Amino acid sequence: MFSRRSMLQGTASGFGYLAFAALAHEAAAKEPGAAKDPLAPKASHFPAKARRVLFLCMEGGPSHVDTFDHKPKLTVDDGKLFNRGRLSGAKLLASQWAFKKRGNSGLWVSDLFPEVAKHADDLCVLNGMATDLPSHPQAFLQMHCGVFQAPRPSLGAWVLYGLGTENANLPGFVTLSPPANNGGPANHGSSFLPAIYQGTKIGAGGLGRFGDTTQVSNLKNPRRGAEAQRVQLDFVQSLNRDLLAADGANPGVEGAIEAYELAFRMQAEVPKVMDLSQETKATQEMYGVGGEGTDRFGKQCLLARRFLEAGVRFVEVTAGGWDQHRNLKTDLERNCTGIDKPIAGLLADLKRRGLLKDTLVVWGGEFGRTPTAQGGDGRDHNNKGYSIWMAGGGVKGGFTHGKTDDYGFEAVEGRTHVHDWHATVLHLLGLNHEKLTFRHNGRDMRLTDVKGEVATGVIA
Amino acid sequence: MSLRFAAGLLVSVLAAPASAMEFNDKPTTEQAAFFEKKIRPALVEHCYKCHSADADKLKGGLALDTREGVREGGDGGAVVLPGSPDKSPLIKAVRYLDATTKMPPKGKLPDAVVADFERWVAMGAPDPRTEAGGRKAVEKPAPIDIEKGRSHWSFQPPKAKSAPAVKDAAWATSEVDRFVLAALETKGLKPVGDADARTLIRRAYLDLTGLPPTADEVESFAADRAPDAFEKVVDRLLASPRFGERWGRHWLDVARFAETTGKTTNFNYPHAWRYRDYVIAAFNADKPFDQFVKEQLAGDLLPGGDPTTKAERTVATGFLAVGPKALNARNGLQCLMDLLDEQSDLTTQAFLGLTVACARCHDHKFDPIPTRDYYALAGVFKSTETCYGTVRFVQSQRPSALVTLPQGSAQASITTKLTDAERAAAEKNIAELQVKLREGDIIARLLTSAQLALARSKLDLYEKDGTPKLLAMGAREGFRPANSPVYARGEVDKPGEVVPRGVVRVVGTNQPVIRSGSGRKELAEWIASKDNPLTARVMVNRVWLHVFGRGLVATPDNFGVGGAPPTHPELLDRLAVSFADGGWSVKTLVRTLVLSHAYRLSSKHDAANVEADPDNTLLWRATPRRVEAEVLRDSILAVSGQLDAKPPVGSPVAAAGEGPSNRPRLGPAGGVRPDAETPFRSIYLPVVRDNLPESLALFDGADPSLIVADRPTTNVPSQGLFLLNNPFVLKASDAVADTLLKETTTDSERVRAAYLKFYGRPPVEKELIVADAFLAEYRKVAAKGGPPAAGPPRGPFGGRGPGGFGRPFGGGQTPVRGEREVWSAFAQALFASAEFQYRR
Repeated sequence: MFSRRSMLQGTASGFGYLAFAALAHEAAAKEPGAAKDPLAPKASHFPAKARRVLFLCMEGGPSHVDTFDHKPKLTVDDGKLFNRGRLSGAKLLASQWAFKKRGNSGLWVSDLFPEVAKHADDLCVLNGMATDLPSHPQAFLQMHCGVFQAPRPSLGAWVLYGLGTENANLPGFVTLSPPANNGGPANHGSSFLPAIYQGTKIGAGGLGRFGDTTQVSNLKNPRRGAEAQRVQLDFVQSLNRDLLAADGANPGVEGAIEAYELAFRMQAEVPKVMDLSQETKATQEMYGVGGEGTDRFGKQCLLARRFLEAGVRFVEVTAGGWDQHRNLKTDLERNCTGIDKPIAGLLADLKRRGLLKDTLVVWGGEFGRTPTAQGGDGRDHNNKGYSIWMAGGGVKGGFTHGKTDDYGFEAVEGRTHVHDWHATVLHLLGLNHEKLTFRHNGRDMRLTDVKGEVATGVIA
Repeated sequence: MSLRFAAGLLVSVLAAPASAMEFNDKPTTEQAAFFEKKIRPALVEHCYKCHSADADKLKGGLALDTREGVREGGDGGAVVLPGSPDKSPLIKAVRYLDATTKMPPKGKLPDAVVADFERWVAMGAPDPRTEAGGRKAVEKPAPIDIEKGRSHWSFQPPKAKSAPAVKDAAWATSEVDRFVLAALETKGLKPVGDADARTLIRRAYLDLTGLPPTADEVESFAADRAPDAFEKVVDRLLASPRFGERWGRHWLDVARFAETTGKTTNFNYPHAWRYRDYVIAAFNADKPFDQFVKEQLAGDLLPGGDPTTKAERTVATGFLAVGPKALNARNGLQCLMDLLDEQSDLTTQAFLGLTVACARCHDHKFDPIPTRDYYALAGVFKSTETCYGTVRFVQSQRPSALVTLPQGSAQASITTKLTDAERAAAEKNIAELQVKLREGDIIARLLTSAQLALARSKLDLYEKDGTPKLLAMGAREGFRPANSPVYARGEVDKPGEVVPRGVVRVVGTNQPVIRSGSGRKELAEWIASKDNPLTARVMVNRVWLHVFGRGLVATPDNFGVGGAPPTHPELLDRLAVSFADGGWSVKTLVRTLVLSHAYRLSSKHDAANVEADPDNTLLWRATPRRVEAEVLRDSILAVSGQLDAKPPVGSPVAAAGEGPSNRPRLGPAGGVRPDAETPFRSIYLPVVRDNLPESLALFDGADPSLIVADRPTTNVPSQGLFLLNNPFVLKASDAVADTLLKETTTDSERVRAAYLKFYGRPPVEKELIVADAFLAEYRKVAAKGGPPAAGPPRGPFGGRGPGGFGRPFGGGQTPVRGEREVWSAFAQALFASAEFQYRR
């Protein structure tokens, strides 16, 4: 495996490079830090607790009151009328799953997650989450990009832009089976950040089921070896640089040049990383690979770990189908079963490899669900209060931050808006959310817009 | 606003004229005493157990222990219509005459008590209670003020102001230019210079036909010094059948066209291709846009026309039928409401640029669109029968009819006549399956029933005499018109007030009255009217977006309060008015824009302008942009000489017939054949939801489950991998290599020919040197052959190769097979280069 440095030197000796270097320099002068290798690892603003992120994204809005936010009063008042805000007149619906105190910490986790519950002492549950709107596309975009009103770079793109990546032969931001809806590619897009920071999608998602993660296609040229292809690609790149020089700045072409280099290196690296047969039977079993209902997500979690281990900065895995307006009982149970063992296996595996301490694992959806019933066996969207959890990466384990009211409707203590959560994630990565900026449209843009407060309480 | 409150409000608005009475808010002493003596005790004794704060469960969402509760009613809407005891559900319930609701459930009240309730309602239900009860007073946002909402810019009629004066009058060669230049001058910006002839003609070809010009076409334009040379090219392109394939695709993005249901089970729509062809033909014929709107919404209801016209208009209504559907939905009403939602969402976004579907569950958060308007519109589609076909099958419980077009209506057929022998064989097969249906376990029987459904659907493609039926997807009038209730929070088990069929009230003041029928015709006419402030603006903006790369309104599907305001409001209005007044001609509009000076600008970067307007919203240059997935694929086919420009009849999905899309006979990828095997233009590739051909999916082709107005452009390594390794690109590169080797003899001739083919321009001196260096280097590595090298590749080629450009080929130094590989690699590099992929 050739190193990124030797690769760049190799390219540097090619013709057309001077023109490119001049342009890169120009770009660098405009945007300090965006050196000629935009993906090279960069120093954080201050010492980091976490070095990489794994975001387990639960598209659809999983119910918090049935999983991580224990509400005894909701059980007591089952069927009673609720009189708050837009839910006025709806009836409270008790959780159908028992909650138990888990681990040494006594963290509340319901019976939907018996395996994850065994890692309770590693979980930092944020029970006071909030987002602006109870509507999927907006909330899903806000969770990823901070705002939904205008196109903005996604969290993963910001992290990659802020820290670069450790493995120059892999994309720095990988997203497994993201959904096509709810903003689609914008959720792993780079928007006004240079295109190289956008997420590389592997497999496609889908509503109402776990996404499918297939191999990356076109990874191998059927007739041309690496050396011949390198010669060919150098020619392509020289054409691209000439075009760039003729046109002046063109972010699309700059992005294409970078994407090609990455594509070339991925050909050697990705098949290795994605080869799950390298894992022992026992490890695969730990993740639920081959198990009924757990196979897909188990494979994705295992794949995610392999990517993280290989030096990818930000990995996101999407599991859709959490929109339980109906069939809460059967569908929520099925979903939780599908991810419970894989996540537990993932946490255990990260731990034994010494990766959990500096890998921030996040589990959560775009919002939570109402304490009130919808059609008897469902819950509506709830943006005013919901739960996510984080583990590893410098957060307190066995810890609960924030709380909702007696019914789980609204955050009343330690309220953590998505902006605050973003600020916290960046903070754990050693990045100051107010300093991680990119100039666009005459403004120093931030992930957290003009908001965001680090939830210092969660930091170990 | 709470929905229940909304429902209550509606009652007071709607029912008041009928009952001519409001709730009695100022009871006299006698009336108050009557309530306290007769009504309150009866409520407490007979009703509070289930309808008060003390109830274990508040039944039907109805609280009778407060005045507000009585007035707001329950989940089903109002219970008391003041002054109208006979119409009030509460009275009907206590009279025990209502079929479903008899209250109290334990037994009928004494007649005297019932009479008291009747009297009470007749006097306007005076209710002196002030205490909070079952439903405490809730925060009630002010109801939507539709009149006030009309002040939003896009709900105002467009005004055709004349173009402002500009300083550089010579630059502005058209009215459009004066608007554009005035905005630039206001900001102190100056447009960059013009694009050269070769760039311009390539741009026009890509924009108007989606295909690059041939080398000859570029050369003859570059040599044409006539002042109207460009105009002639543009008119020729507008008249080309390729125009409809290019611009029809833009519309198919919006119309979320696909040939399968998508969602949970993804069943085929074997007849969807007719709608695709209709759209292409409509753009080619420059069908007036207002007519295009009317045909898609209500083509079946338009008067007159010969059988050909009638068939065409019926096919047009496929617009309403080709959307995503969950065929395994258990709840029929839910399934219906989802269909109506999909149709309402499409209709309002596509034509009006409004996101009305937000109002399914609650009043629109940003726009003055109450749930009532949503359900008024939904009622129109509820009164319509949507014909989408599909078969009853495992996991498909909701097939529908199809529309049969008249024979002799000039519609294509994908099959030939069924012979008697074939029919006999098919019938025998069906008979055997019917017998087999009773055999085996449940799984086996399910499989047999599926086979039977498919076999029957095959036979259903023919008339009795074996003539192929002309089947289409579409819409027709429902059995009887039916208004829709407002469903509280969008929940189908919470029907409220039934609202008359209608349109979005905030849009325009000329609201149609729907007296009979579904109202689709009225809806279509209301949308396709000059008086509708949105229709022309929204379409003009779509056309502008595809010509200039960015809409005047940057949110082409949202002209509401949450959308972006126009960058050039007066220009948008001017164009909208001209569009509607001038006969809704899309081609005229495209022509106007393409012949503007603004269109001819170069894509040159300008540091000062970038600083002031980084997104080029004011159009100081042509923003370079990557061509869309279809254009890239079609260009690769065209340049390599492989394109079969003749439109195919039907579609692989049609050939596969009814049933789930993912079946072995459709190929491993569910109807999507490898790109390398299909030489047709990309618009004719099968559109299987969640399974687009790779060449489209990787390059941001529109997701057919979504209404797509403006595609995103992503830039990811997987695109590079496709261009470097996919057999489709390799095959095209080989084809180019063969042509170059056959038609030219020297390296420099070949490089020159390739540049003209790919880029529409000859190479400059430096490029010849670079190409030559590549050829030399590549010949060296290719000569080595052998397996792919492991480890780091050696540094790329430095100086000039040994051959030098202009070195004649064919002296036998290199085997031809090797040369083919060299030129194939060269051609592929040009395919992979940004210049080939960019419209500049």
